[in-house]
Amino acid sequence: MIKKVLIANRGEIAVCIIRACREMGIMTVAVCSEADRNALHSQLADETICIGPAQSSESYLNVGRIISATMTSGADAIHPGFGFLSEDAEFAKICEKCNITFIGPNSKMIAASGNKANAKKTMIEAGVPVIPGAAEAANTPKDGLKLAKIAGFPVMIKAALGGGGKGMRVARSEDVFEQAFLTAQAEARASFGDDSMYVEHYVEHPKHIEVQILADKFGNVIHLGERDCSVQRNHQKLIEETPCESLSEELREKIRDAAVRAAKAVNYENAGTCEFLVEPDGKFYFMEMNTRIQVEHPITEWVTGIDLIREQIKIASGLPLEYKQEDIRISGHSIEVRINAEDPEHKFRPCPGKIETVYLPGGKGVRVDSAVFAGLEIPPYYDSMLAKLSVWAPTREEARRKMQTALGEVIITGIKTNIDYQYSLITHKDFIEGKTDIDFIDRISRG
Amino acid sequence: MELRYLFKKTQTVKDDSLDREKKANRPSAPNGLFHKCPGCNKTIFSDELKRNLFVCPDCGYYFRMYATTRIESLADEGSFEEWDTDIKETNPLGTPGYEKKIQTLKETTELDEAVTCGKCSIGGIDTVLCVMDTRFMMASMGQVVGEKITRAVERATEERLPVIIFCASGGARMQEGIISLMQMAKTSAALERHGKEGLLYVSVLTDPTTGGVTASFAMLGDIILAEPGALIGFAGPRVIEQTIGQKLPEGFQRAEFLEDHGFVDKVVARGDMKETLAKILKFHGEHEYKPTGIKVSKTKRKKNKHTPWEKVMISRGKDRPIADDYIDKIFPDFTEFKGDRHYRDNKAIRCGIATFAGIPVTVIAQTKGANTKQNVERDFGMPSPDGYRKALRAMKQAEKFGRPVICLVDTPGAFCGMEAEERGEGEAIATNLATMSSLKVPVLSIVISEAGSGGALAIAVADKVYMLANSIYAILSPEGYASILWKDAKRADEAASEMKLTADDLLKLGVIDGIIDEPEELKRNNVDEVIPGMVSCIESFIKETADTPAAELIAARYERFRRF
Repeated sequence: MIKKVLIANRGEIAVCIIRACREMGIMTVAVCSEADRNALHSQLADETICIGPAQSSESYLNVGRIISATMTSGADAIHPGFGFLSEDAEFAKICEKCNITFIGPNSKMIAASGNKANAKKTMIEAGVPVIPGAAEAANTPKDGLKLAKIAGFPVMIKAALGGGGKGMRVARSEDVFEQAFLTAQAEARASFGDDSMYVEHYVEHPKHIEVQILADKFGNVIHLGERDCSVQRNHQKLIEETPCESLSEELREKIRDAAVRAAKAVNYENAGTCEFLVEPDGKFYFMEMNTRIQVEHPITEWVTGIDLIREQIKIASGLPLEYKQEDIRISGHSIEVRINAEDPEHKFRPCPGKIETVYLPGGKGVRVDSAVFAGLEIPPYYDSMLAKLSVWAPTREEARRKMQTALGEVIITGIKTNIDYQYSLITHKDFIEGKTDIDFIDRISRG
Repeated sequence: MELRYLFKKTQTVKDDSLDREKKANRPSAPNGLFHKCPGCNKTIFSDELKRNLFVCPDCGYYFRMYATTRIESLADEGSFEEWDTDIKETNPLGTPGYEKKIQTLKETTELDEAVTCGKCSIGGIDTVLCVMDTRFMMASMGQVVGEKITRAVERATEERLPVIIFCASGGARMQEGIISLMQMAKTSAALERHGKEGLLYVSVLTDPTTGGVTASFAMLGDIILAEPGALIGFAGPRVIEQTIGQKLPEGFQRAEFLEDHGFVDKVVARGDMKETLAKILKFHGEHEYKPTGIKVSKTKRKKNKHTPWEKVMISRGKDRPIADDYIDKIFPDFTEFKGDRHYRDNKAIRCGIATFAGIPVTVIAQTKGANTKQNVERDFGMPSPDGYRKALRAMKQAEKFGRPVICLVDTPGAFCGMEAEERGEGEAIATNLATMSSLKVPVLSIVISEAGSGGALAIAVADKVYMLANSIYAILSPEGYASILWKDAKRADEAASEMKLTADDLLKLGVIDGIIDEPEELKRNNVDEVIPGMVSCIESFIKETADTPAAELIAARYERFRRF
């Protein structure tokens, strides 16, 4: 069993890991940058080592310093949290070579998930649906149309060397395909000097659904239900909930099964998440595997009663899962909102600064994961998330009401936050009715 | 707020298993997992360092490379075939303990000596490759090193292959005394024979290249490349400091210093080394003429309304394209090779190799600057003797490898100053005139703006000389002419008319062979408009001269200038 964990992260996730370790009787070592000497994780851990200047590259992303802090402190494991080095295969590999337990999957799995083309191939072989589209590129509208028919309309035509939205066009039907192909191709030629185009199925107004996986070193793989993370702004999740009520029971099972198959196909181990896009007609496609603990893990903990950080540590220690799939009961409904130090009135720009007062809600079915306290200086160098507020109630509407109530009590002064913005989303008619997909925020911002 | 003393910390049940656990199971960094960078003191993960070809990703410090990894980074996969691994070590002076030392090194380094030689392909072209490894007695040159290199060169001569040697050495091997000294002569002689066969030798100088290796094969390359920051010299810096009793300046004897002083063609970053070598091999390999497909319709030239003086002003215009612009457009794969191998790299002349219509050509260009800073660096396009000697070196090399020479002429005149005289400006120009007259390869010169006097002629003793329509070519500047003849430099415009310096006049006089049309206002941003004319001029010259025997070329060139 792991005896001492170094947490290579900061903020609420570091605090969350310290708490789980403390409950398990495991010693904790926090690392911090010079800007984080007074951060909650630095103060809460049993030991704290300052590993460098504020810039992430000099501290939380600096492999050499984190490894030396681990050796110096005598920790035998590293929990990477999320972000920073959590999905850095190279870092995981160094941990392995140094005989440090990396709390997460092994380096090969991380590297394999990072290689999108290979991962797609593996999923096809495992019978997990992926976005239809040939791996080959087309140079003429005629060849393109052949690919389009394989992929199924509507299709996305995109430059093989593309990026930044250039050389991309959606064609909804065969009769507009040629025009769209030629326009996209002309753009691609002008922007990238290459006119080979990929054609793949265009997933329209999908929901972002992800399935939580737990897998031990003995090949046991279970899922802990899905999470609906469709409420996103610029690919940043804002609100997550579980279960996803708009899915039929049958579809839900299919997606959960696919996630387990995906995890088994790569011999996955530890906690992970399979992301899918689900179309309104029920077709769904595997996107990627996140090989870390997710920000939104508390809602899964609410409905399953399982502490995911604790499970991660147990799996990394080489213990088998104590649950079988049939032991998992998903009960009630849980919602999480992310509270960020950002200014919704000015394009959501980050707003670092000193927190003057904080009041956080509580009560039955209310959970706050945060690292803020009055007097804390929020540094400008890192992610702007301040806290995660999550609630549980027997039904979605009850949970939503609870969230509305709790959110109405959150007070943070001294810096700008997105609390009011989140309040407006939670009380939005479409959200109340569960009509959210990944275009929800775009739709309501356009008015 | 200080909360740290208020929080209750983890209570663990007393468990001494932490102490009892075997040391082997405790986290520890295995040897060799990290490297410490001598440049910035940062720790670097070895795999990352290896991926970065042993260059520090943070500060760019160059670690010395093992011969094996060096070969791996250069040779096409699986193509390296090692030669002569079993040459018997000798101890010619009977130095005590020498054999044992060699034996120990062989075991620890897994090398048979300080140089690894063999054959491989780089970018698909076969070459002999020798790589020295400083782990083996600082890669000093004893009898075995000299023998391995000599054998590799001899075999290259026999099999008609190019030779690339990655040099790194402390110099001669003291333990082998005078026999070590003889290796310098032996390797140099072998390379001389190889070169006489018209074969290519590229030497690459890596840290450190000193002593007897510098003073033999390292400095004999047709092309000499160097890694950034490598120490290169004959006497080591410490020895020099002790001898002269002075501290040496920063950067002294480094690769860049040698490049500035004309002894290194090009400093090449490690990451670009393979590509650069592949390109050089390709320039010197088999070629086939591929038409450019550019055709210029032979319309009657537009009547040029400018007066001679106006043309003088146009040719000196601030926005007029400089040689760099033409090189970029006409020779996109131009690779510059610097230095006169005597004193300095003169920036007023750029020399290099490029492929034109599939054929490698040597390009020699007098070039002004695009802005004041560059103009100062390039002496406003006025070459010093070092510039002419660099051009001469490029021409001789073109002759060795049978490449046509294309010269772009643009200079107000040779550099006027004390240092230029001290180093023999007159001698340098004269040598070029004489050498060019008997060069065994075709030479084409194009006057792109200003061709002033001997400074221009020194790269214009050509089979054919062309001019852009508004360029000028004269014995000296109109200002100078007016001041000598009339004691009044202000009458330059008058002088310009009398001097017959326009392309039309010179064509009539038979000084040039043709005129390339240019637009009304030729600027750096519309240089594209003259490119087809120039390309077609160069292409027809190359086609016409391709099969002309050298003797015929030389005879015609002689006659061309004999008739004046």
